[in-house]
Amino acid sequence: MGQIDNPQSSPIVQLSLDALASARKRVFTGTRSQLGTSSQIGIAVTLSVVIAVILVALIFDFTNGFHDSANSMAGPVATGALKPKTAVIIAAVLNMVGACLSTEVAKTISGGLFDDNLISASVILAGLVGAIIWNLLTWLVGLPSSSSHALFGGLIGAVIVGAGLSSINGSVVVSKILLPALIAPLVAGVAALLATKIAYRVTRRTPSAQSEGGFKYGQAFTASLVALAHGTSDGQKTMGVITLVLVAAGLQETGTGPQWWVILAAGLAIGLGTYSGGWRIMRTLGKGVVEIETPQGAASGAATGATILASAHLGFGLSTTHVATGAIVGSGVGRKGALIRWAMARRMVFAWLLTLPGAALVGGAAALLADRGTAGVVVLLVLLAAVCVLIWGISRRNKVNHLNVNDSHEVLVLNAAQPASFVDGQELQHDAEHDVSNAKGAA
Amino acid sequence: MNIHVDWQALLIVAVVSIVGTLIFMALLSAGIRYVSLAGVRANQRQSSVVARVAGFSFLGLAGLFVLFGIYLIIPFFH
Repeated sequence: MGQIDNPQSSPIVQLSLDALASARKRVFTGTRSQLGTSSQIGIAVTLSVVIAVILVALIFDFTNGFHDSANSMAGPVATGALKPKTAVIIAAVLNMVGACLSTEVAKTISGGLFDDNLISASVILAGLVGAIIWNLLTWLVGLPSSSSHALFGGLIGAVIVGAGLSSINGSVVVSKILLPALIAPLVAGVAALLATKIAYRVTRRTPSAQSEGGFKYGQAFTASLVALAHGTSDGQKTMGVITLVLVAAGLQETGTGPQWWVILAAGLAIGLGTYSGGWRIMRTLGKGVVEIETPQGAASGAATGATILASAHLGFGLSTTHVATGAIVGSGVGRKGALIRWAMARRMVFAWLLTLPGAALVGGAAALLADRGTAGVVVLLVLLAAVCVLIWGISRRNKVNHLNVNDSHEVLVLNAAQPASFVDGQELQHDAEHDVSNAKGAA
Repeated sequence: MNIHVDWQALLIVAVVSIVGTLIFMALLSAGIRYVSLAGVRANQRQSSVVARVAGFSFLGLAGLFVLFGIYLIIPFFH
């Protein structure tokens, strides 16, 4: 049990189309038993659940995009290899392309975490809600955390509410989620550390202006590769969830791939999410942990790309977020005199550890509502919208966008938390520049 | 709990990731070094052909590495 198998043959988030005939029955009988005997009501409820799941899955895809655009583009944005807007446009297009490139969706969603028979439309809905809220909360405080872990956490919480704690396979949680989360940053970190050393060693006699320029191109290329790889894995996830629900509701033939509009909608959602930038996380990853120069950026990009590709093709699926973060820290260790903020690195690790239980709590709470038929689903959707608006509103108090992403290394949540020295420092700098230009003018 | 981890797969992933990263970075760095050297030599009116050819060969190999990565991602090729 709990074997970590090849993600090519069975990716972590998978949909079992073979098991869908029974899932289809479950969706109908489940909703009917809750809402009486009329089959018409049963179908109507199912349709509302289906629409809700599609909507919420696309919202999740959007949060997945803006949460993870930092994984590929934080480095190039921080070093100036790519302008912030250019970086997110490239990442968005490549994520969309990636999402449309690969459409093998015939898989199971649970990845062995629990019995596939426990997956119903309401469990998927609750799991997605848990993942979305967790993604938004971590985005608000600017912490990178794995979107797949958030989705698993949400599903686990929903399944526990429905079927009890014993339905979760603990050894799979350890071997498929906790262990990879420890290993991914280590492997990518070591790779980036050694690559950074090589980069500085090989180019030690090269004028730094020229090597900077060269590594900028290298960084842009590797970042693009990471964005494309991200699209193929995460864009597919949402398509899989939507297809599962469509098949379960009898709106699509068992054993068929995703519909063209599902591919298009999922690709658009992740692309738009990526384009919107997730600047808070980009600031933390690009500026908050390590001060990086272009050779380090190229090294961490290469390490991220190589580790993701190797893990996807050799049978040990690793989270893009964990890999990218480990690589950036590694590139900081690899250059002598680079500033590393270990306190921030520790906060990230805590966020990773909290992702599963945190999303599980939200997912569990959401499952309590999602199980209560149409009214519950409607209340859940309204609550989700309210939480989204609330978190967005709080984020506006300390906006991070493409203009100021590189201005600070901190992501602040409340105005009260903003240190006066930062604001003063900015103004002082402006004054100083002003004075210098005045002096020049006078001279 | 009976935890089974495929340590061999993990080791292979770790080694391939690290070696792959290092080869790419070595090629990229060498390319940048020699292209830059060619520029310096040209400025000094020395022969820059060898350095330029070497530099762009390294960069080309690094580019092939990226293309191989793209090849791995696209399921159409498999």
